[in-house]
Amino acid sequence: MVSTGLNRPQSGRKAWVIPALVILWGAVGVGALLLLAKSVQNSSAFDRLQPWILLLNLIGVVALTVLLARKLWQLVRDYRDHVPGSRLTARTVSIFGALVVAPLVIVYLFSLDFLNRGIDSWFKVEVKQGLSDALVLSGAALNLRMKEYSSRTEELAHSLAATGPGDIQEKIDGERRATGAMEIVLFGEHERILAASVEDPLETLPSRPPSDLVRQIREHRMYVSLEPQSDGQYYIRTAAPLSDPTTKAEARYVVAIYQVPPQISALSEAVQRSYSQYGELAALREALKSGFRLTLTLVLLLAMLAAIYGAIFFAQRLVRPVQNLIAGTRAVGKGDFGTRLPLPSRDEMGFLVHSFNDMTKRLRRAHEEATRSQQAVERERERLAIILARLSTGVLAVDRMLTVRMANQAAGSILGTELSVATGRSLPEVAAGNDRLGQFVAAIAVRFAAGRDEWREQLELDAAAGRRTLMCACTPMPGEGADMAYVIVFDDITTLLAAQRDAAWGEVARRLAHEIKNPLTPIQLSAERMRRKFLGSMSPSDAEILDRSTRTIVNQVEAMQQMVNAFSEYARAPEMKITRFSLNQLVTEVADLYRSQDPRAGIRLDLDESIDGIEADRGRIRQILNNLVTNALESLEGLNSPTLEIASRLESGGDASYAVVTVCDNGPGFQRELLGRVFDPYVTSKPKGTGLGLAIVKKIVEEHGGRIDADNRPEGGARVRVVLPVKDSTRSATGGARERRDALRRERA
Amino acid sequence: MMQAFFTRAGLFRALMLLLCAGATAAFADALDGVLEVHSAYVNIDNGVFLLHARVEYPINPQIRDALRDGVTLTFELDTRVERERRLWLNATIVDLTLRRELMYHAVSDRYVVRDVKTGQQENFPTLDEAITYLGRIDGWPILVEPQLNGGSYLISVRAGVRRGKLPASLRALFFWTDDFRRVSEWYSWSLPV
Repeated sequence: MVSTGLNRPQSGRKAWVIPALVILWGAVGVGALLLLAKSVQNSSAFDRLQPWILLLNLIGVVALTVLLARKLWQLVRDYRDHVPGSRLTARTVSIFGALVVAPLVIVYLFSLDFLNRGIDSWFKVEVKQGLSDALVLSGAALNLRMKEYSSRTEELAHSLAATGPGDIQEKIDGERRATGAMEIVLFGEHERILAASVEDPLETLPSRPPSDLVRQIREHRMYVSLEPQSDGQYYIRTAAPLSDPTTKAEARYVVAIYQVPPQISALSEAVQRSYSQYGELAALREALKSGFRLTLTLVLLLAMLAAIYGAIFFAQRLVRPVQNLIAGTRAVGKGDFGTRLPLPSRDEMGFLVHSFNDMTKRLRRAHEEATRSQQAVERERERLAIILARLSTGVLAVDRMLTVRMANQAAGSILGTELSVATGRSLPEVAAGNDRLGQFVAAIAVRFAAGRDEWREQLELDAAAGRRTLMCACTPMPGEGADMAYVIVFDDITTLLAAQRDAAWGEVARRLAHEIKNPLTPIQLSAERMRRKFLGSMSPSDAEILDRSTRTIVNQVEAMQQMVNAFSEYARAPEMKITRFSLNQLVTEVADLYRSQDPRAGIRLDLDESIDGIEADRGRIRQILNNLVTNALESLEGLNSPTLEIASRLESGGDASYAVVTVCDNGPGFQRELLGRVFDPYVTSKPKGTGLGLAIVKKIVEEHGGRIDADNRPEGGARVRVVLPVKDSTRSATGGARERRDALRRERA
Repeated sequence: MMQAFFTRAGLFRALMLLLCAGATAAFADALDGVLEVHSAYVNIDNGVFLLHARVEYPINPQIRDALRDGVTLTFELDTRVERERRLWLNATIVDLTLRRELMYHAVSDRYVVRDVKTGQQENFPTLDEAITYLGRIDGWPILVEPQLNGGSYLISVRAGVRRGKLPASLRALFFWTDDFRRVSEWYSWSLPV
């Protein structure tokens, strides 16, 4: 599966990070607003909630900053990595950002200027001057009252100073009623009340004189003060000393409290309230301006951050289908036809994505169809390869330049080299050092050079390992030019030809034995009868001639009988007597026999003790050994140090075990031209040889289901290698030469 | 060091410092000075715990000028009684604030101290007398005996001064600063139960 890089829904940890941050930011913002709304209701709540408001705002700003930083980092990274769509996203973000930031900055600057001017306008000099004037006016109005009440109190003090103690209370009450004072109290030393008159004596008590009043009176000065009350009323407290300070009488002073008329109090209170409010605001003037500036800046920053984040967010959403299309196209280019893009919406982009998905769907179907066809071809090819591998016939495909296109296992076996790994190599190059393959290649090359594309011929390959006969057929395969190839089918028919020869020779021997043996006995009997009848009646010279002639006839007839017997023996196929015996022991016996007959012959044994015994006809195996040893000893005649080595080995081939007997000598070896036919009847290089020894050996070996090879050793001398199955069941399974010969006879018949 | 200051990060830090300094300088006011609870104690009168405290509030020409410009100062005395717990946070039994306003009455040329809760007010001819009055808290009932049920208790007193009475609409503007208010350290002692 090719990695497509599609923007599919995120899974796992990352999937909830962004929504969680957004929800957190929203919750924090709402929380901060709620707390702010609650805090403005009273100052104590504001003090308590201020840290939380600050914390929530800080969290909101941090969350937004984290979100934005993450988005910006992702955008920068994608831009640097040339991620498809990143440049479009960056351009979109730039445009969106510029469109949003520019108005924000303009509004910000305008608002700053407006606020500065607006706040400054609140504190115009005229307003402050007006308030001050109003304050002076109300103060002047009240001062008139204060002076008036102060004068009355002073007059009262003078009057009281001249009044006796018994009339003081009456004097005070009268004065209070006359002037409308709230209370008039006469104090002695240590603020002791000497006499008092109040409006409602049952409800109120005379108030205690303030410390500054006492201080001034002690300095023998008049006292007057305006005292605002919590209910908005104004009281004028006046005091005047009664006695002359130079006298030694008790220091007394009278205190009177007058209420300012309500109209004047209300107006004065209004002026005072306005003055205080203006003072409060004026004190906050710079703080207000700074606060507004900072708040506006923070709001601007938050708005810009949110706007840029929104721009990135929506730009990425817009670009995502395009990125998906790019990634999908790349995936299709890499062979992933299973790519399906998520449908973003039902707009034009959605239609495009839908078309893309439809295209990939069709491509996938076509690809699957092609894959199925390819798999079918591959299956057919595999079947063909299996068939070719199981064929005993060699199949070799080459082009005109003799480059191997294909070769099956049997081709390699027949040609004596491994051709299955030579695909793509030049056949002459592969044939280097291999006589048999070299001759095969040369034969093919000659035919190709002659322009023969299609031929069927029998090739004789004469190599050190023996002569092989191949039946070859060459056919051109479809193709032109450099693609022109040829398939060469060949079969090793050496064994088949040998079997045919064996069958033919057997037939000849049987007929010869039959045709020649019959007249031999009458000839011999006739010669002996002539000798007995005429030898005595003839002259000594004639008798000698007769005797010599008849003896020659008899001897030659006997020789012919031996020859005929040999033919009979070759042609005869007696029943084998299969027994289990020790092959090594038999080899030892035969070797000892020949050692005793010819002590000069150096017969060496190299026997494999792992061979327990074999199931075979012991007499025939002895005949094989006799023939081979005799053959070897005859070839060693005349040598100074004749050496004969007989070795036995146990080998495994497939499911069966084989006993291998190798007979080697250091004689002249086989003649090269005879090497391929040494097992044919009447093929011999010895002057006295019948040419049937090795033929009989081969016949017996094949009857046991074995095989025999003959070659020359590299160091000199002949070597014959006999391979015999250890168990008789192996022979029955493979079939012997006799069966093949019988089959040939039946075929010929 | 200078090189580091002129780097990009250094420039950013300098800008932030300037911003903060400008914001705080704009609100530097007359609240500077000693603000401390000198002493405090409680006595029980007929099952009522009465608080007595001596507080030194800041007094300087700036305060006088601010008051004469019409600014109102709010003097607060926060009182908290907590029951001590070994394995957990202390439980708050009482959390009270005595809040009084001091303003200059321009018409009468007197300093007026007004209890925010009761509305009672006192007039003083001088600022010193008004501040002295504000610094002497006597017999403020903060607790009654039934509120205590064994264990050890901690009583804490803290004084505070707030400058100005911000309109509610403007209060949101100054949510990010506390330059309009100062508080003293907590003065704490164990309640003799």
